[in-house]
Amino acid sequence: MDANIRIAGEAGQGVQSAGELLTSAFHDMGLHVFSTQSYMSRIRGGVNSYDIRISDEELHSGREDCDVLAALTAESFATEKKNVARGGLVALDGAAGPDALSLDMTAAAKEAGGARMVNSVAAGIVFALLGYDIEPLAKAIGKAMSKKGEETVGANIEAARRGVALAAGHEGLVKAPVPGERRGELYSGSEAVGLGAATAGVKVVCSYPMTPSTGALTYLASVADRYRIVVEQAEDEICAANLICGAAYAGATAMTTTSGGGFALMAEGLSLAGMLELPIVIMLSQRPGPATGLPTRTGQEDLLFAVHAGHGEFPKIIYAPGTIGQAYEMTRRAFESAHKFQTPAIVMTDQFLTDAKKNIPELPGALDPVDAHIETAPGADYVRYAVTESGVSPRALPGGEAFVVCASDEHTPDGHLTEDLTARKAMQEKRMRKAALAAAEAMPPEFYPEPDETVLLCWGSTYGPCREAVDILRAKGRKVCMAHFAQVWPVWAGAGGALEGRRVVSVEGNSTAQFALLLRQCGAVSRFDSILRYDGLPFTGAEIARRFKS
Amino acid sequence: MSGTAKLKETAWCPGCGNFNILKSLDAAIDTAGLDRKRLVMVSGIGQAAKCPHYTDANVFNGLHGRALPAATGIKIANRSLTVIVASGDGDMYGEGGNHLLNAMRRNIGVKAFVHNNQVYGLTKGQASPTSEPGFVTKIQTKGVVLEPLNPLALGVAENCSFVARSSSVMPEHLTAMMAEAIKADGFALLDILQPCVSFNKINTAKWYKERCKELPADYDPSDREAAFAAALKWGDEIPVGIIYRGTRRSFEDMTTALAGEPLRAFSG
Ligand SMILES: Cc1ncc(C[n+]2csc(CCOP(=O)(O)OP(=O)(O)O)c2C)c(N)n1
Ligand code: SF4
Ligand SMILES: [Mg+2]
Repeated sequence: MDANIRIAGEAGQGVQSAGELLTSAFHDMGLHVFSTQSYMSRIRGGVNSYDIRISDEELHSGREDCDVLAALTAESFATEKKNVARGGLVALDGAAGPDALSLDMTAAAKEAGGARMVNSVAAGIVFALLGYDIEPLAKAIGKAMSKKGEETVGANIEAARRGVALAAGHEGLVKAPVPGERRGELYSGSEAVGLGAATAGVKVVCSYPMTPSTGALTYLASVADRYRIVVEQAEDEICAANLICGAAYAGATAMTTTSGGGFALMAEGLSLAGMLELPIVIMLSQRPGPATGLPTRTGQEDLLFAVHAGHGEFPKIIYAPGTIGQAYEMTRRAFESAHKFQTPAIVMTDQFLTDAKKNIPELPGALDPVDAHIETAPGADYVRYAVTESGVSPRALPGGEAFVVCASDEHTPDGHLTEDLTARKAMQEKRMRKAALAAAEAMPPEFYPEPDETVLLCWGSTYGPCREAVDILRAKGRKVCMAHFAQVWPVWAGAGGALEGRRVVSVEGNSTAQFALLLRQCGAVSRFDSILRYDGLPFTGAEIARRFKS
Repeated sequence: MSGTAKLKETAWCPGCGNFNILKSLDAAIDTAGLDRKRLVMVSGIGQAAKCPHYTDANVFNGLHGRALPAATGIKIANRSLTVIVASGDGDMYGEGGNHLLNAMRRNIGVKAFVHNNQVYGLTKGQASPTSEPGFVTKIQTKGVVLEPLNPLALGVAENCSFVARSSSVMPEHLTAMMAEAIKADGFALLDILQPCVSFNKINTAKWYKERCKELPADYDPSDREAAFAAALKWGDEIPVGIIYRGTRRSFEDMTTALAGEPLRAFSG
């Protein structure tokens, strides 16, 4: 049993804070929650919405339709009314709408102390329509607003109560899941990436703000004192990429966060990290392009760009977490791999995953640094780029007994620049041996529930929607499974074998099925069908199931 | 010292000003009493940017224009290291101009020595941000029309910790300026006028020798207005010396996370 609640209004009305209040209240009540945001690239006006899906079972994605729509403006009502599920209810602020309960939320908010609290009134109405007692909401308001003072908390609780009163006579009209025990903790994708980085021992974070990557940066800044991290806003992404290269050279675990346009500016720095063999980590949170594209929407359009980013040839490792829990794990793993192979690693997320919130088992918050693989006692004959069988050279840090020399020009093992073409060849082969090593350790995909005749192939944030689609299709007797890749580069060598003889349907948030193309390039698939979405919104399980053709 | 020794053979043209700069740098490192194991020489790309390879020190020779971000990252990771940038005018004032502005704003404890030959040497003689109006090249065939960048005035405007000028034609003065820059707290910019015998036939050694004049003994580098006036002076007389000393605290001192032990994973 699940219900989807949508709060819609214009930017500046507190749609997001109402959504967060409800999310936290529902979670505290012991419901499973999955919330997603859809907002415009503006600070005021437009139509923004916040969905909170609740259930008595674990959730993996959002829904397109909703059971309760709380519309704070006529415009948001006009946009969203078609998405109300059969049996659903609409609460509209103010004047009468033909298919809506017209409840004067603004007036109620004013009575409680100010029109700004219309979002708390809406939250109260939602609770009433679902037939839930308002206490958990009052508690959530207290928790979220404690810093603003008792008066604000009291006024917002009053606003919520007035919302309940407004909904009198309609209590419990929407079927709602029965709360159970409080399960796990709530995290957004941004927080999970940030916490993964902080616990992995990141010490230098340097970024230029860009939606949707800014959430992770903000989170890291908020925990900087706790984990002793320098979070520095760069003058541009070129600075960010080069600054973390410098920091990594001198021994600090370093990362940057960005989105497509910023990542494009980092391409030269990425190549530098490949050449200098520096362990840097980049979180690339995708949004639709090209160019500035849709700044606040979601997409998976940068896969092939990331795989090929940076001039020249060098090893690179790319993870694409599918869930909020994986966002934490894959970020940690990116730091591990970057240090192990002394090369850049990228964590690809997107607006959907970074902004989504879900209750998951509590993530370990204790500092648990990854192995930095540092040579602490370089000998008398130490050189930074010793040609080794594995391709990995012992990495010492400047300030110790041996000089550490590196050059973005081709170099001899001692790090000094060279135009000796034999030395060049040996050095290129040394670097690329690390690519082979990284490929041998690539992660296999997760099959859900188990390999079957048809495979929904996916990567990154499409995990949840695909998984729900598989459940829906299997319930109808279809022999469909999911194969989700949380590491997209290097591609796991067993991919071809695992997919052989199965029909592959690639489900991706782009218009060209980039991952399937990549697998074809690797020889892992030959033919495939695809279900693609590139309107800037995330997939839902129901949508994939509907679009699936046997 | 172990393993990695400096490159013995330079890639510079005979008669190039870079040789004197390198000599002064070595002398200044010793004058300032630096432990070379704890010194990192950082550069971008260009003829000047090869300089770190010819020093006995740790070397980070990064990308064209990006020496300062890398140097900033190094200083943040381990503030106990001395971090000196030695790179060209094209690298530091052209490709990396925004980073220069922001290194000044950050007041990060990095010492930037700019080998300013008023031309792009490595790429064979195109105009640089400090080329004089009218300077003819194979690209600027009718002469440069852009107003030259004034890095010193920028440094004064940004209240930079240390702003100075010297030249490779006056090696002792240059050594002294470098040593002062190394000692200064916060960001230091030292603009070093340098002849390029191959591609700049206007601003020659003779040209610099005739014009470079030390600031008077009673010049007060803490007087910002006087510093602006000195920074703007260019032509028959070019002032050399410490133009300006700001009083801002360094980025390292203002950043909570940088108090105490270096940030780097391994301390030894
Ligand atoms: C991104 C990038 N653009 C262009 C170049 C080519 N390039 C190398 S050095 C240089 C200019 C060098 O001028 P300057 O910094 O003044 O150094 P100089 O050789 O005069 O000492 C240019 C344009 C490059 N290496 N990288
Ligand atoms: S090109 Fe000019 S700056 Fe470069 S080494 Fe030759 S003389 Fe010196
Ligand atoms: Mg030059």
